[in-house]
Amino acid sequence: MRIKKAMLVFRKDWREIKRNWQVILPIIVVPIMISVFLPILLTAIPSLATTPGTPLSGFEAMIQNLPNHVQEQLAGMTEQQVMIYIMALYFFAPFFLIIPLMASSVIASDSFAGEKERKTIEALLATPISDGELFLGKMLVSFIPSMIVTSISFLVYSTVFDLLSFSIFNGTLLLPNLDWFLLIFGLAPTVALASIGLTVMISAKVKGFKEAQQISVILLIPILALVFGQATGAIIFGPIVITALIGLFVIIDLAIFRTGVKLFKREEILSKIA
Amino acid sequence: MSSVETNGLTRRFGSFMAVDHLSFEVKEGEVFGLLGPNGAGKTTTVRMLACLISSSEGSASVGGYDIGRDSLKVRQIVGILTENPSLYERLTAYENMDFFAEAYGLSDVQEKRNRIRELLEFFELYERRNNKVATFSKGMKQKLAIARALVHQPPILFLDEPTAGLDPESSKVIRDLIERLSQREKHTILLCTHHLEDAEKLCNRVMIINRGKSVIVGSPDELRDKIAGQPVLQVILKNLNQKIIEAIKDVKQVKEVDVDNSASRLIITLDDVKSVTPEVVRSIVYAGGMVLSVNTLRPSLEEAYLKLVKEE
Repeated sequence: MRIKKAMLVFRKDWREIKRNWQVILPIIVVPIMISVFLPILLTAIPSLATTPGTPLSGFEAMIQNLPNHVQEQLAGMTEQQVMIYIMALYFFAPFFLIIPLMASSVIASDSFAGEKERKTIEALLATPISDGELFLGKMLVSFIPSMIVTSISFLVYSTVFDLLSFSIFNGTLLLPNLDWFLLIFGLAPTVALASIGLTVMISAKVKGFKEAQQISVILLIPILALVFGQATGAIIFGPIVITALIGLFVIIDLAIFRTGVKLFKREEILSKIA
Repeated sequence: MSSVETNGLTRRFGSFMAVDHLSFEVKEGEVFGLLGPNGAGKTTTVRMLACLISSSEGSASVGGYDIGRDSLKVRQIVGILTENPSLYERLTAYENMDFFAEAYGLSDVQEKRNRIRELLEFFELYERRNNKVATFSKGMKQKLAIARALVHQPPILFLDEPTAGLDPESSKVIRDLIERLSQREKHTILLCTHHLEDAEKLCNRVMIINRGKSVIVGSPDELRDKIAGQPVLQVILKNLNQKIIEAIKDVKQVKEVDVDNSASRLIITLDDVKSVTPEVVRSIVYAGGMVLSVNTLRPSLEEAYLKLVKEE
């Protein structure tokens, strides 16, 4: 496998994508906006939650479900601090696994299906770029921008959150911490690669972009399960859990890549040209 | 030496036989035409030879490489103009060329730049090199797609319907460019077309295929002779009468005389037009005929082709 050839496919696709604002804008703007509004919301919710009778009072019950080591960390904090701490550092952490999936979904769905729709695929398939190089190139063009967006979102989230919570936590900066570093630079990329690999595989098999995107939405379900797992206290993303998940997803990524290349059939792709 | 050789090449799509035991040979430096109506199996044949789809049966080699075993090597030595131009419309002409140059292994920056410039100048696109392909006309896109197929100087070129969908003027431009190109760069060219003009003007040899089967192979002249018979003699006279007709019929090698009285025109079928024409003219003159013109009429390749496809 020649990485140079995969990077060539990446550069070509990226050149095309960056000239298409309809694709670029939602990829960049939505995650970054969420990264700004989420910490604002987080610092606003606890003050609402302390008002008796509001639905948000239910958060206390959720905190009770957290494991002991998490609860120990909360000892000595005010109710407002506990609320913000738990929500900012734990409850919303898996959300940053969704950002790369959201950002990559459009590009990955378009990877082969878009070329079929625009009838550019035949000349590409006729080049001496191998199946593995093509598949990797198409994965990279979804992966690299989505990870850049995720990293920027993380930076924005941390900055806005620290600015807002600085006074609440008496001058302590809570983000970034080890868990978040592992999450953003370890788990998010491996989860994203698995999702991108599957979406690119789907994109190669179906006729058009819309079909690919509709099917790829299903891939969000396991990640949403992690989000709800964390929100209900069923799973807590501590360093051990995150590292174990990274290891698991590395294996899944390799398996998906190998399967994707194996199932990559130029002939089948050509037969699906609209 | 053969650049392309197929033996019983076959491709089925379910129960449909797209290419049916096709065997042919394209010699080095030759322009070989695959001529046939839409759905005859031309594109499927090219796709098999370019290792884009596999064959169901039979074998083929391109540039000495087996299409089944050495697909990457085949792709490396082949330039292909696909049925659609397959150009990236958001990229400029230069960016399209640059991508394919690197994809085909042109890594030396200066060499790559020189080659792209040379081709864009040859196809009169250099001034528009920094424009997005989306702004190009159909003819310009087709020229760029051919330039792209040539970027890595492939010894073998597959051109699938190079003039399809173009207006007559653009078709002529493309045909002239391919003709100049084949003379200048000495590629072996396999040209798929349903335009007889393309085949007639560009090809050394033509294979007519219909419903996936080879119908006939030969040079355009040979095909005309084989399919539509020998050329005939057309004589236009100032005065036409029965005496002249009888005098012509008396010439030994004359087989048939068709008379068009309104135009004073005779269509004479002969055994050997070249050698018998002087004798026919002399018989007309001796019978008192005044000859305005004498022409040899050959059936056009189009007539020959239509006749053949209809028969099939």
